[in-house]
Amino acid sequence: MSTNTASSSSAAAGSADASAPRRNSKRPKYSRFTQQELPACKPILTPKWVISAFLLVSVVFIPIGVASLFASRDVVEIVDRYETDCIPVANRTDKVKYIQSSGNNICNRTLTVPKRMKHPIYVYYQLDNFYQNHRRYVKSRSDAQLKSNSSAGDVSSCKPEDMANGQPIVPCGLIAWSLFNDTYNFSRNNQGLTVNKKGISWKSDRENKFGKDVYPTNFQKGTLQGGAILNSSIPLSEQEDLIVWMRTAALPTFRKLYGKIEVDLQANDIIQVVLENNYNTYSFNGKKKLVLSTTSWLGGKNDFLGIAYLTVGGLCFVLALTFTVVYLVKPRRLGDPSYLSWNRNPGGR
Amino acid sequence: MGGWDRVRPSRSTARLGGNSSMNERVQSSRTIRLGRVTPQAPGHRTIFCNDREANSPVRFMGNSISTTKYNFFTFLPKGLFEQFRRVANLYFLTISILSATKISPVSPITNVVPLSLVLFVSLVKEAFEDWKRFQNDMAVNNNLIDVLQDQRWEPIPWKKLQVGDIVRVKQDGFFPADLLFLAGTNPDGVCYTETANLDGETNLKIRKAVERTWDYLTPEKASEFKGEVQCEQPNNSLYTFTGNLILQKQTLPLTPNQIMLRGCSLRNTEYIVGAVIFTGHETKVMMNAMNVPSKRSTFERKLDKLILTLFGVLFTMCLIGAIGSGVFIDRKYYYLALTKSVDDQFNPDNRFLVALLTMFTLITLYSSIIPISLYVSIEMVKFIQSTQFINKDLHMYHTETNTPALARTSNLNEELGQVEYIFSDKTGTLTRNLMEFFKCSIGGEVYGTGVTEIEKGIAQRNGLKVEERNSDNAMHEKGFNFDDARLMRGAWRNEPNPDVCKEFFRCLAICHTVLPEGQESPEKITYQAASPDEAALVTAAKNFGFFFYRRTPTMIYVRESHIEKIGKIQDVSYEILNVLEFNSTRKRQSVVCRYPDGRLVLYCKGADSVIFERLADVSDDLKKVTREHLEQFGSSGLRTLCLAYRDLHPDMYENWNEKFVQAKSSLRDREKKLDEVSELIEKDLILIGCTAIEDKLQEGVPACIETLSRAGIKIWVLTGDKMETAINIAYACNLINNGMKQFMVSSETDAIRAVEDRGDQVEIARFIKEHVKKELKKCLEEAQHHLQTLSGPKLALVIDGKCLMYALDPSLRVMLLNLSLNCTSVVCCRVSPLQKAQVTSLVKKGGQKITLSIGDGANDVSMIQAAHIGIGISGMEGMQAVMASDFAIAQFRFLTDLLLVHGRWSYLRLCKVVTYFFYKNLTFTLTQFWFTFQTGFSGQRFYDDWFQSLYNVIFTALPVIIVGLFDKDVSATLSKKYPQLYREGIRNVFFKWRVVAIWAFFSIYQSLIFYHFVTTSSKSAKNSSGKMFGLWDVSTMAFTCVVVTVNLRLLLMCNSITRWHYISVGGSILAWFVFIFIYSGIMTPMDRQENVYFTIYVLMSTFYFYIAILLVPIVALLGDFVYQGIQRWFFPYDYQIIQEIHRHEIDNTSQTDFLEIGNHLTEAEARRYALSQLPQERSKHTGFAFDSPGYESFFAAQLGIYAPQKAWDVARRASMRSRPKIPLKK
Repeated sequence: MSTNTASSSSAAAGSADASAPRRNSKRPKYSRFTQQELPACKPILTPKWVISAFLLVSVVFIPIGVASLFASRDVVEIVDRYETDCIPVANRTDKVKYIQSSGNNICNRTLTVPKRMKHPIYVYYQLDNFYQNHRRYVKSRSDAQLKSNSSAGDVSSCKPEDMANGQPIVPCGLIAWSLFNDTYNFSRNNQGLTVNKKGISWKSDRENKFGKDVYPTNFQKGTLQGGAILNSSIPLSEQEDLIVWMRTAALPTFRKLYGKIEVDLQANDIIQVVLENNYNTYSFNGKKKLVLSTTSWLGGKNDFLGIAYLTVGGLCFVLALTFTVVYLVKPRRLGDPSYLSWNRNPGGR
Repeated sequence: MGGWDRVRPSRSTARLGGNSSMNERVQSSRTIRLGRVTPQAPGHRTIFCNDREANSPVRFMGNSISTTKYNFFTFLPKGLFEQFRRVANLYFLTISILSATKISPVSPITNVVPLSLVLFVSLVKEAFEDWKRFQNDMAVNNNLIDVLQDQRWEPIPWKKLQVGDIVRVKQDGFFPADLLFLAGTNPDGVCYTETANLDGETNLKIRKAVERTWDYLTPEKASEFKGEVQCEQPNNSLYTFTGNLILQKQTLPLTPNQIMLRGCSLRNTEYIVGAVIFTGHETKVMMNAMNVPSKRSTFERKLDKLILTLFGVLFTMCLIGAIGSGVFIDRKYYYLALTKSVDDQFNPDNRFLVALLTMFTLITLYSSIIPISLYVSIEMVKFIQSTQFINKDLHMYHTETNTPALARTSNLNEELGQVEYIFSDKTGTLTRNLMEFFKCSIGGEVYGTGVTEIEKGIAQRNGLKVEERNSDNAMHEKGFNFDDARLMRGAWRNEPNPDVCKEFFRCLAICHTVLPEGQESPEKITYQAASPDEAALVTAAKNFGFFFYRRTPTMIYVRESHIEKIGKIQDVSYEILNVLEFNSTRKRQSVVCRYPDGRLVLYCKGADSVIFERLADVSDDLKKVTREHLEQFGSSGLRTLCLAYRDLHPDMYENWNEKFVQAKSSLRDREKKLDEVSELIEKDLILIGCTAIEDKLQEGVPACIETLSRAGIKIWVLTGDKMETAINIAYACNLINNGMKQFMVSSETDAIRAVEDRGDQVEIARFIKEHVKKELKKCLEEAQHHLQTLSGPKLALVIDGKCLMYALDPSLRVMLLNLSLNCTSVVCCRVSPLQKAQVTSLVKKGGQKITLSIGDGANDVSMIQAAHIGIGISGMEGMQAVMASDFAIAQFRFLTDLLLVHGRWSYLRLCKVVTYFFYKNLTFTLTQFWFTFQTGFSGQRFYDDWFQSLYNVIFTALPVIIVGLFDKDVSATLSKKYPQLYREGIRNVFFKWRVVAIWAFFSIYQSLIFYHFVTTSSKSAKNSSGKMFGLWDVSTMAFTCVVVTVNLRLLLMCNSITRWHYISVGGSILAWFVFIFIYSGIMTPMDRQENVYFTIYVLMSTFYFYIAILLVPIVALLGDFVYQGIQRWFFPYDYQIIQEIHRHEIDNTSQTDFLEIGNHLTEAEARRYALSQLPQERSKHTGFAFDSPGYESFFAAQLGIYAPQKAWDVARRASMRSRPKIPLKK
């Protein structure tokens, strides 16, 4: 864009013009500000600039898009939806009743590794139609209580899961109460695969939001058990499942990290999953999925960014071409006075 | 004719008094509303002069005044109340209260913080302004005044003054309160006051004390004064006063003639002694102090509509959300624990209640759609625009009068960019109101060789070159621009008829009402005259050797040179026996004087028509020749007066004088009787000659008008002058030319005169109305015919006041409007101030056009206030128009800068500011809205409270203000070079609903991009550690994208980008990052959920963040960019083409064209000039020179006759003109 900067001579001219200022003169003083003559760059969106901008965007975006897409494609992901399959056929008419009746809910799943997966392999559970971002849900927690033992009684924001049997619940609130409690055990060729559950939460949460001296007390002692029961001898800062769960998700479909498998998996390996199906998503028809995934530098499998970059880059390229063609077909001289409205329809009122 | 006569301009309101050196707030005004004068309180007040104790039981008000709006204690409550009268503030107060309740998803912070910031800024501004007022008041209150105490004059501050005190006011001092005039140093008990502060007139008013009190002048004597004043209660009528002075058991009636009002000042009198009657807020001036009704710009009214639309959108959004929440809520979401005793808001058993409460929840959540800081930002922008740019523009500084432009209100800046109709006064606005004696005709001989500007113009158009001749003899001083050696320095003695010359000069020196001031020497004297014409005539007499130097109520002293022989000087005193005053029906003025040798002469000067009727039936040749000269003068644009005299026989005079005295003292119809008596003596006159006075055009007026009309602005001239003069000026100013089709609607036809002579009022009214209707219809048909032909001539309409009166009748109004809106220029002559206002309102209301009135005099006030924008010409005498105006400029030609540069820029800038505000708040709120759909319509907030509250006031506040100040599409020079650019403003191109819709479309597009790109891309694990984002990570990410994009979008819409743009945009984005680094980095002890703790650090530790922050803003801006590219290339705005034409030019300042006011001829103009060479019908007319306000009262006061002083005599006269003439008996 053409950049014109005002010459600095203007300032000098202004003061020179002031003819021997009289003492009582009301003549305004010259300043670039008041005379609105500040040096400025005046960009004009000429076709050259438009096309160049488009080309620049496409040149920058397409490589990034390719890189992102490659990163995403590198990721190997196994997704297993199990909420229906894990209910015995006989009980499928009333899944809610089945899940609520405490009993043996063990379910065996078999997964096949499609491609070699390098460690660490992340294990996620994915819930669907679960509104962790519902207003009533989001605010039903007590950060003060989670952070320090001294504010154990600070449960005012946790209703209705604030007190049980007259005692404050630690950790209180709906979020903690509804902690996910399906468990997964993996084995390959009848050899157990250890799932490392350390370091699955963000460090900042673990160290600053959840206290080292805060232990679960009075948890899940109410009339209805919402989810997992916590080991009351482990401080909250080490209860990483809880920490992960309590970083509430933005959308009703979300994944949460369950653990890490620290060995490589080879292509066509058969993974046996012994799954304890405890968590009730049946009330609200929520799906449950087990996900095993590797990561790239960009993260998990997500083509969106790559596709977006490629699309935008491509689109810009196409636009650049289109604009070029259109400008060639229907050119307009820069600053053509015949385009001025008063020249287009002379005599127009 | 109906209600016409009932409508009278109401009283003037005036400023409060005070020291002129203080820049006081001056309040004035005159509106065309009725009934300003409040009914008087019953009863009267009794004042014991010079006796504080006797007055003390009554507890009169003190003399200290306070014009402040607040005091220390009322500031907060009252100031807040004022603030909450604004709908936007009240709305946010409601929202803040709502958000403190349980149903709110956001903490009160979200709304309280911006609201309090906005309130804080507004209150600081209020406090600052009030503080300035307070300081002014203090300065006024602490002025010193001499008060009589213990037989001595003691200076005490004004505020200590009490009713009944005896005070002494010295020359040029201001009256501290309303005073009763007791005594003055002038021997005849007279003093002169200047009322410029009251009504803007600088001519002096005469006050005369009651004769019984003349002696109370010295402190010793004054302390003996123990009068008792009984007078009316304080009221706001400036020109009335009734009361009695009871002095030594004698009751003396008091009139306004003895009252001196606060705010006026004493002139030509060493000092006066007076008794205080009304003090402080009870003075007439203060009772009149009333705020000028503030005008709101049409732009702001449109803005209100936009805000209302936003409310509509808000309501719709909330409704959608509320319905959704009612549908969504269900017990099946067991993790929400809806089974237990649940609040109403989530109780699935009552879905209606859920929806209702969610409605309120969502209102608090989406409150940010209403841009809270919009009004305060606009105010700031406009304030700086007017105080820094308009007031300090060197292009609008007038060196000669040392006057810069002054924006008296900052409300109307952008309105200046949309003006379509200008209503201009003629005298003083288009012309200089600088009357110069230019030519004369004495005894059939023309003297004076000057060439008027109008003649020059005509000659130029005819292709002749006019050379400037500067003869050595040319005399030039204020009021005299005459060049002819034949009359100067006594040379007239050698002319064919020196006796006629002598009569001519004597007539000029004697027949007037001018008051000399200053030293009695020809160089130092100044003349105080009611009209500049008169001053010019007296000055002319002085230069011809008849120096009028002193006047007493009965005598006029003239120093005559060269009478007996050249070089001889003698002082002659003429006794003034009668003055037959000027008024608009008489159109002449006569003086009967007695020479020292006993010769009795009546000198008369007046309009040619009336003088010629009254000439003796001799000297036909002279009449014919003089008439030719008159026409010649008239066509050169000169104002003419005829001079005549008559020798009177003493017996005949005595006879007449009796009748005159009788008429003068009659109580009923005095004016009419005086007119009739005058008629008896003003006959058989002998013609001396005529004078021609040039009413000079203001500098650069034709060029300015040319420019403005190219800008698509139509200019109407509304003047009190007669039709010919008005047309002449219109020609001179390029308003009318011969290429135009002219429509004339005049009442000066024989048919109308015939009807008028019959004198039946009803018949006259009916006849003229019929006539006007017929004329209008004819013109309209013709106009439509011309409009249909493609390149038909431009149209011009000339209409006179009388016809206008009928044309403004509701039944004809539409026709008038249709006709006049199709005309490029309209000239209304002989209109009263009220009609000026009516014409303005007609176009403003009837035509829905934006109007601007410009004028300099008191008679323009109503018009100035009626228009959207009122402009006063400042720097001249008289402040009344300026007081009533919104902007004051020194010269008509500065309109070019004011409208084409400042107005256009202000309009463009405010359009940008407003649309941008609209865009940024809509975009932001919509992201929140999209989120609502995925939270089960629960009203969960997407952003942290502080994000939302600081969004408007920190992260996006400054750049838009910078745009409002600095954005410039084309430079000032180009704005003036291409006046057509202004038409974009008239068409309101940049703030149409279409424009708003485009912004709204891109808002929706961008918000969708923000929301979906950010949420979708964050569904998978981030970073190689496989961890997932939570809600607050996503929202911080989205918010960052919004802030970055919205700020960059601003750069995309700038036409010129200064350093301040970079600083503010960069600063805003930086401010966000600094804020979030700190805010999310610390654990605050405050009770809040640690939602955003560390989110930015978590985000920035991922590659994802950088990739998304590059992608999202660019995708969001892509739409706008494509749109702008296409728009610019295929549907360019005019300014864009101009930008392109001048793209390589350095924007060097306009210093070069600084003093240049030349008229650059375009091809079209040249062609038009060629056209104007074609033979044209030139009106044979003569200009008539008397037109000045306050004339009659001035005259009456001169004689010591009490005449109610109406500042608006001119208004009265003008309306009298339109009243049918009363047939006179001879």
